[in-house]
Amino acid sequence: MSGPSVLAAALQDVLIEPAPGFEVPSIDWAGIAPNLILMLGSILLLTVVSVLKRRVPSWFAPVWTISAAVAAGCAVVPLWQRFADTGPETLVGGAVGLDGFSLFATVVVCIAVVFVALLLADYLPRESLESPEWYVLVLLSASGAVTMASADDLIVLFVGLEILSVAAYVMTAMHRRRVTSQEAGLKYFVLGAFSSAFLLYGIALTYGATGSTNLAEIQAFLAGDVVTQNALLLGGLAFMLVGLGFKVGAVPFHSWAPDVYQGAPTPISGYMAGAVKLGAFAALLRVFVVAFGPAYRQEWQPLVAVLAVLSLVVGAFAAISQTNVKRMLAYSSINHAGFILLGVLAASAAGTESALFYLLAYTFMAAGSFAVVTVVGRTGEHRQSLEDYRGLASVRPGLALVFTVLLLSQAGVPLTVGFLAKLYVVTAAVESGFDWVAVVAMLTAVVSAFMYLRIVATMYFADAPEGAPALRIPAATGVALGLSVVGVLLLGIVPGPVSDWANEAVAQLVVAAP
Amino acid sequence: MLIVLLTYAVVAVVCLVGHRRSDSWAFPVSVLPHAVGFVWLVSVAPGVLDGTPLVASFEWVPALGLSVDLRVDGFGLLMGLLVTGIGALVSIFSVGYFPATTDRARVAGLLGCFAAAMLGLVWADGLLTLFVFWELTSVASFLLIGTDDRSATARAAALRALLVTGAGGLSLLAGLILLGLAGGTTTLSGLVTADPTGGVVPVALVLVLVGTATKSAQFPFQFWLPGAMAAPTPVSAYLHSATMVKAGIVVVARLAPTFADVGAWRPIVVVCGVGSVLLGGFRSLRQQDAKLALAHGTVSQLGLITILVGLGTPATTYAGVAVLLAHALFKASWFLAVGAVDHATGTRDLRRVRGVRRSAVLATGIVLAAASMAAVPPTLGFVTKEGALEGLLEGGTGWPGALALVGVVLGSVLTVAYTVRLTVGLLGDAPHDPATDHAGGHDHRPGVLLVVPPAVLAVLGLVGGLAAGPVGAWLARVAASLDPASSDGALYLWHGFTPALGLSALALAGGTALWWATRSATATTDAPRSLSTVGYDRAYEALLVGSRRVTGVTQSGSLPLYLGIVLLTVAAASGTAMVVSRDWFDWATVPLANSPLELVACAATALGAVAVVLARQRFGAALALGGSGYLLALVFLLQGAPDLAVTQFLVETVTIAVFLLVLARLPQRFSGAPDWAPLGVRIAVSLVVGLTVAGFALQASTARTEPSVAEEYVARSEPEAGGRNVVNVIIVDFRGFDTLGEITVLAIAGGGVVNLVAAARREQRRKQLLDGADVEDLSGRAPEVWR
Repeated sequence: MSGPSVLAAALQDVLIEPAPGFEVPSIDWAGIAPNLILMLGSILLLTVVSVLKRRVPSWFAPVWTISAAVAAGCAVVPLWQRFADTGPETLVGGAVGLDGFSLFATVVVCIAVVFVALLLADYLPRESLESPEWYVLVLLSASGAVTMASADDLIVLFVGLEILSVAAYVMTAMHRRRVTSQEAGLKYFVLGAFSSAFLLYGIALTYGATGSTNLAEIQAFLAGDVVTQNALLLGGLAFMLVGLGFKVGAVPFHSWAPDVYQGAPTPISGYMAGAVKLGAFAALLRVFVVAFGPAYRQEWQPLVAVLAVLSLVVGAFAAISQTNVKRMLAYSSINHAGFILLGVLAASAAGTESALFYLLAYTFMAAGSFAVVTVVGRTGEHRQSLEDYRGLASVRPGLALVFTVLLLSQAGVPLTVGFLAKLYVVTAAVESGFDWVAVVAMLTAVVSAFMYLRIVATMYFADAPEGAPALRIPAATGVALGLSVVGVLLLGIVPGPVSDWANEAVAQLVVAAP
Repeated sequence: MLIVLLTYAVVAVVCLVGHRRSDSWAFPVSVLPHAVGFVWLVSVAPGVLDGTPLVASFEWVPALGLSVDLRVDGFGLLMGLLVTGIGALVSIFSVGYFPATTDRARVAGLLGCFAAAMLGLVWADGLLTLFVFWELTSVASFLLIGTDDRSATARAAALRALLVTGAGGLSLLAGLILLGLAGGTTTLSGLVTADPTGGVVPVALVLVLVGTATKSAQFPFQFWLPGAMAAPTPVSAYLHSATMVKAGIVVVARLAPTFADVGAWRPIVVVCGVGSVLLGGFRSLRQQDAKLALAHGTVSQLGLITILVGLGTPATTYAGVAVLLAHALFKASWFLAVGAVDHATGTRDLRRVRGVRRSAVLATGIVLAAASMAAVPPTLGFVTKEGALEGLLEGGTGWPGALALVGVVLGSVLTVAYTVRLTVGLLGDAPHDPATDHAGGHDHRPGVLLVVPPAVLAVLGLVGGLAAGPVGAWLARVAASLDPASSDGALYLWHGFTPALGLSALALAGGTALWWATRSATATTDAPRSLSTVGYDRAYEALLVGSRRVTGVTQSGSLPLYLGIVLLTVAAASGTAMVVSRDWFDWATVPLANSPLELVACAATALGAVAVVLARQRFGAALALGGSGYLLALVFLLQGAPDLAVTQFLVETVTIAVFLLVLARLPQRFSGAPDWAPLGVRIAVSLVVGLTVAGFALQASTARTEPSVAEEYVARSEPEAGGRNVVNVIIVDFRGFDTLGEITVLAIAGGGVVNLVAAARREQRRKQLLDGADVEDLSGRAPEVWR
């Protein structure tokens, strides 16, 4: 038995004299190991660096973070085996789900953590911002995202959301010398607090209507009973959709996204596009598709369809007029959110798989793209405008080629993962009868392709301005860039194993054993 | 089939990877896959033409049901022969063309990639397979255009080419997916047999036509093709005349026999085609750069082929296939010849070229290719043009067919005119110009590798015309794969005095006359910018400006605006939910008040809230907010919840204290209201949101179906926990874990705050000691966020 579990068992024995009718949930520590590794990794890192202070070498925190993420990723393997052997389970008194969905999401989060740690390792010294708190917050928020993705209970989901969000607010505002960073943090926090409140309100209303916050019980209730409190339930759905829609950056709750993505330190923007989106989408999928899907999809699908169409259109059209590349990517992330919403909209197993696959693909694309923005931005991140990308191909051909591949992937060009991801969600939406939304998605893909190609053309067809400072690609950033491109191409050409895996990653709700 | 594609892939990879030391071997090696492909196609030709297409299919992403479906039928065979045959000649030509300074391995490798993608495209049967290869050809074309041109206009043109074809490809994909859905199939052949109908089909067809028009440089998207001439000439010869620009035609040809009668297909095809025929021909007359003149001519010829295959009758389909073959032969020959001239004389300007006649082979090639292009008997160009006119004269397609006939005849006149002009310009000797003569210095006879490929193609055009009978019969078996009814098509070198012959003669005479009449007018002027280019630029600008406006309105950076949008959406969504559900709460179950005092307290609380809004000074607003809070505590008290009242009271007190601390650092008065939201708007938003939330609160209060947990707590408090104060029992017993956690968190946070404050003080003191100056005060900044 490991240390914490011994301690916890002792605590349970000593402190709790079970009252009649009071069930202490047994905790399957092994089952939540990946989340524990991330969470404990964060706390231990914080402890170590505050005890040792300056004596900790600067490579320690990033290496620690990457190790924690890799360890958490490895911890998924035996759990996947267990899932394959015995099927989905629900742990900790029905609060945490152990199924293909949560495990797949966990791996994606770990990938995002590895990317952001690699980028931060070069970014922080460059901006003279070195401190281990960044990594602590990254690991914490990753734990939050995993919690959301595996929540079988609305309250657990909310806790995960808060862990994820609060860390993200702080990281957004943590560039001390850039006012835009602080402004972004403030906006994100104020609007995020509202959306969290809405989510909580929605959870309360849903509880009022169904008598439970447990997703499995809600599903069972909706399947079995005649709902007497329809208004409460619909209101609850609407409020939860607002709260989660805000987190995924869906229009009309997107207004924070461009400002925050632009203001936040660039590696963090990439991380938000990967892990934060994943957490929120995982929650959407679990709550709406799984818990409310069977009985209530007709009620929420129109709302999600509206969100999806608005996100697709606004994301694509607003992006093309941007002159700031980072902001362009922010709007494009809204467009991507629209595509992923197609997978949610489908409300089917295929839809869930496609959304997960898209999220995995987008994690690679976003990490790589924002890494390029980090490099080109140079110290102080002053060089983000399209002008600063002129002639990049002649100055740094390799970097330009990498960015081209990533942008083509975002545009959905074949042989990159972006194409398959788009095809996957569109097919899922069409199979569920949302042809017209799929057509809108394709048309907006044309519009956003225009924007991506504009960046590509600027890099290749314009002369580099004279006298720009030299561009250096630090080692860790180079590794991140390489990983992202390899991922984008590999997943785009031989997606077989991963898509097979995603096919089994469907959330399943299991009623907790009494 | 796969082996052919693999050969290309291997050679391309070898070229792209292994070019460190020398690259002179790259083009000779790149002939190999073309040769393999050509020989293979010839060997399978008899079987394919007998009506048994070769089919290959392999799973790509099984989970997605995505597979690569290839199918070589008669038409695929013809296109494959063109791609490999012309590809081989272009590779041979490139050996002599590219100087050692260019990255020859890269160009050779990319050309190999392109050829593989193009073969995939013409053989594709799966709709998605088609799209995948379609986009790959676009990407390859982009990389080849961007090879080495440095002028600003050329770069702008390359960007246009990329944007137009890239966007068009996605339009094609959307159309194909819709067609596939309507027909319940994933293959082109399945689509043709399924012949889907329904409301979505016409829309899908328009999307497909937009895609094909962009790729095949059809009006109004023709403007990118001249821009693509920034590519090296062999690349232009291969991609932009013989193969890639035929991609759109391939798709049109495969769909037209089935869908030509549906919706707006025929009018669109004919109007775009005629537009391209006339505009291309007209603009070609006005170019001084021989290559640009050819590019405009290509637009014109592609228009002709699109009209023919797009009309979809058996006769025109057959004629379209024949013209396609003839065009590929003479146009590639032309481009290569111009490349050879450029290489030998250092210029492509019709006003400067001299001395081409010294190379008899090259001159003969040019004359033969010109004869075929102008449809002079007895070339293949002539017999196929005859076939086209025959097919159009047959009629049966209503006004589009008639318009097409007129357009084609006028286009032929223009074609003859620009062909004569080009031939005369290239073969004639321009007057001596000391400046260019001196600067040229290139003047040498082109090498044998530069003159043989164009001559071979041109001779093929002549032979094909002389052997019109067998060639025609062969083409009929090719066309039968598109439309079985085309199998009785035939070509004749001479079939009597027919209307078609008259029209051909008219075109020849008219064209020559037109050239003679305009030869001085077109000798000096440079062409103005085309209307389509202007239109494109306008559209580009308008899109940017429009998008900027929309963004300016929705993304002002104003936090109140963002919040307003979110709040309104919430109110709308949940309000709708409440209205839709028709599940109203019952007013009768909601007690108004337990005592008059309660009413008064509630009213006073509300008044306090109003006062907050009305206050002009921050201080006043904070006080009013506090007052409202205290009154709420009174309401709690009256409702019989002293503990809640105490909590509310304490929280209110702390909040006011915090407010006062912060207000000391802020301006006294509120900043003015933002422009976008006059008072009325703000009041309306507040009311809507407030009413919605209040409505749900009432709804929730009437929704209880289970007994309150409080009753259970009260009942169990004394027997189980031995306490008489329920609140205390809850805190330390029933929810003891919560309390423990909360205390821990509070303690840690408190410790942290104390430490932070102490550290900040130390730091401040240290700085004061060091600088003897005040620490900078940053709090005065009023960020624009709040506006």
